[in-house]
Amino acid sequence: MNRNVKIKFENFSFRYQTLKHPTLKNINLEIYEGEKVLIAGRSGSGKSTIMHCLNGIIPFFLEGEISGKLTLNMTAPHNRRNIFEASKKVGTILQDQDSQFVGLSVGEDTAFLMENDAVPEKIMKRKVEKSLHIVNMKEFISYSPYELSDGQKQRVSIAGILTSQAEIFVFDEPLGNLDPKAKKDTLKLLDKISKTTGKTIIIVEHQIEEILEFNPDRIIIIEDGKILAADTPSNILISGILGQVGLREPLYIEAVRNAQIDFSKIENAHIVESFATQGIREKFLKNIEHRIRRFDHTGEIILSVKGLSHNFVPEKKVLDNISFDINKGEIVSILGNNGAGKSTLSFLIAGFIPCKEGEIFLSKDNITNTTITQRGTKIGLIMQSPNRMIVKNIVKDEVSLGLKISKLGTRYIEQKTEESLRICGLWEYRNWPISALSYGQKKRVTIASILAHDPKVIILDEPTAGQDFRTYTLFMDFIKTLAKTGIAIILITHNMQLALEYSTRSIVISNGVKIADGPPVKVFSDKDIITTACLRESSLYSLAEALNIDKQVFIEFFLEQIKFGRGVK
Amino acid sequence: MSSFGSPYVEGNSIFHRMNPAVKMLMFIFWSIIVFMYLDIRVSLFLVVFGSLLLYLSRIPGRIIKNLFFAVITFNIINVIFIIIISPDFGIELAGHKTVLKKFFGYQIYTESVMYLVVLSLKYLSLLPPTIIFIFTTHPSQFACSLNKIGVPYKLAYTFNLIFRYLPEVHIRFNTITKAQAARGISFGKDEPSFWQKTKNLFCTIIPLMNFALERIDKITVAMELRSFGKKRVRTWYNEASFTGTDAIYLLVITTMFMLFVYLRCKVWKGFNYILF
Repeated sequence: MNRNVKIKFENFSFRYQTLKHPTLKNINLEIYEGEKVLIAGRSGSGKSTIMHCLNGIIPFFLEGEISGKLTLNMTAPHNRRNIFEASKKVGTILQDQDSQFVGLSVGEDTAFLMENDAVPEKIMKRKVEKSLHIVNMKEFISYSPYELSDGQKQRVSIAGILTSQAEIFVFDEPLGNLDPKAKKDTLKLLDKISKTTGKTIIIVEHQIEEILEFNPDRIIIIEDGKILAADTPSNILISGILGQVGLREPLYIEAVRNAQIDFSKIENAHIVESFATQGIREKFLKNIEHRIRRFDHTGEIILSVKGLSHNFVPEKKVLDNISFDINKGEIVSILGNNGAGKSTLSFLIAGFIPCKEGEIFLSKDNITNTTITQRGTKIGLIMQSPNRMIVKNIVKDEVSLGLKISKLGTRYIEQKTEESLRICGLWEYRNWPISALSYGQKKRVTIASILAHDPKVIILDEPTAGQDFRTYTLFMDFIKTLAKTGIAIILITHNMQLALEYSTRSIVISNGVKIADGPPVKVFSDKDIITTACLRESSLYSLAEALNIDKQVFIEFFLEQIKFGRGVK
Repeated sequence: MSSFGSPYVEGNSIFHRMNPAVKMLMFIFWSIIVFMYLDIRVSLFLVVFGSLLLYLSRIPGRIIKNLFFAVITFNIINVIFIIIISPDFGIELAGHKTVLKKFFGYQIYTESVMYLVVLSLKYLSLLPPTIIFIFTTHPSQFACSLNKIGVPYKLAYTFNLIFRYLPEVHIRFNTITKAQAARGISFGKDEPSFWQKTKNLFCTIIPLMNFALERIDKITVAMELRSFGKKRVRTWYNEASFTGTDAIYLLVITTMFMLFVYLRCKVWKGFNYILF
């Protein structure tokens, strides 16, 4: 095969100035023209550092020591005077959709690169229209970023790099925390760009199940700053290396592996349908016990929502007549796409916004008209980013802050603080500065400071967004233990995997209306619900369909298996 | 075009259509004239002429009303301070004094009163061009027009970023406030103690600052990745075209400015409070 090498790392190492040890160790890698490459690895594996080396953030923003050689398109970017030379060849889409949308309107943001290149206005306008047409955003040209969803903002950024001469496109976790529908659109767009432009595309991502749809040519696995594997998706999946480095395998692969079915001979293991053979079907059927778990929640009702409706502008109802009960110790997931109304619902329950229509009861007390401060200690809302909640420098002070303000007795405060720190596994860290903690630990700090008030309900907004599989599992297992103490947990999420594995019940909201309420297994094996809510069917569902096995039974079996496999400690 | 986060008011008046750089120049010249003169004839002319321009700009009355009252309030405070600190400044400027009225043994001089009147008119006459510039210039063209009159683009673009991210800071501030209030850290009606309220406000500021600092870092990287600052000059997507009409405006504005400068130097030199 005679292919042009576009990017070449030769014995490349990099050490951040602030760190003692190198983050990238002796990387050797060639990426070819027009290739679609997925770089995967856990958080902190060095996968983002590779990306930063390509687009020039290293060494122009983040300084450090480079050894070895990196050639981009036959020239070495780091010998050049500045970041701009590199950025000419490499178009980068960052993960944070808001920070990279600097223009006041869609058209302006698309033109930003050309403005800086001093392209004449007329040419600029023509190119902007053309690029926006490719990403299907042309009719939004005069919209402000505040009128767009995250997915749409990302498309505008993509339109921006399409106006450039860049030959290599780099995407930093493009799926990020997009909702299922936006993810689907992004994948479709990536595919279109790759097909129509023939550019080299490099994606850094850890959500393997979803990104497989993009059908990369190669997956490169990074662990501890080294390349562990670089192979076709099929070979990578068969080798089982994903699991070894702490990444989540696609659910269908996990299911096959759990059922101890040998699939090393299967070609195209990255396509679910490849598994639709008689042999595999029989093996599954032999394994599956026809046993449906029972979901009885005869427990005491803690939270009760009755006929809740809400609108911000008179014409449009964001929520329409929502009712449900939540029992003690239950973990309920509230699912829906962005804009479905789930955030509004959580804000209403926590008292962040006043309730206009409907009633809310907390263990039989009507709390519909109580203030946020009165309600806050009973119903805690944990926001997605812990940095938005943390005020103090030291762990202990942060957790006791709310109690101190309530002017409770010193002994009581100390006792409560210790108790919640212990539950959250932070007691050893009580005197640590919060800035020294990991993301997951910071999140626990925010939970501990709520726990100190003895809440009855905790609402978690996208609790696992942006976390790799290991952190995800650790954190959610911790949430499970919280629920066992009798606290009702509400997960606000669009992550179906999360809902499936950790919630005992799922409520699906679509366009402000509750369209489903039941055990996750049942909800997710219902195609109508999934399509109406624009959620994404998991590969588990597709596998069951391909094998012609009852979906609910199949998913049920899978859940039992992983519970067994991971061990309930 | 949406203008969330900026004071821009949609419209199609001559000022909406006027090139922002010309408009900016008008604003600057106007301000220079105002500060050059201490003459009731000029101030009164500017107030009347300015009101006419305001009428032409079609900016809704309620917006003007609010700002008008703000300027009046500021002016009253200013006048009170002048009366307290240097009540005789007008006499000094005029060089003579005439008793206007006797008031409980105090003498009130015409010159002092008229000085305050002229001063108030001066401030008032600044209002129309300011309102016109702020409310009829689209935020996207704001930075561009600054750049066009010589402000370096890196500095001018800051205004764009302010318009872009200010609403977001506002939204964040709201959610953070709520989240803290839920922990009992409130500075609303729930918290009676003023001292505690102030301390609590501080608790809201820290996460907001964290957010802003994180944001600034990311925005800088994102901008440089797209070549911001690479060249000495940059073009603007929303650059307003410079039409023949703009050329005429420019000519009129400049001529008027020259005229006023000439008058100030040769004819109407000092403090004058007599209309005719």
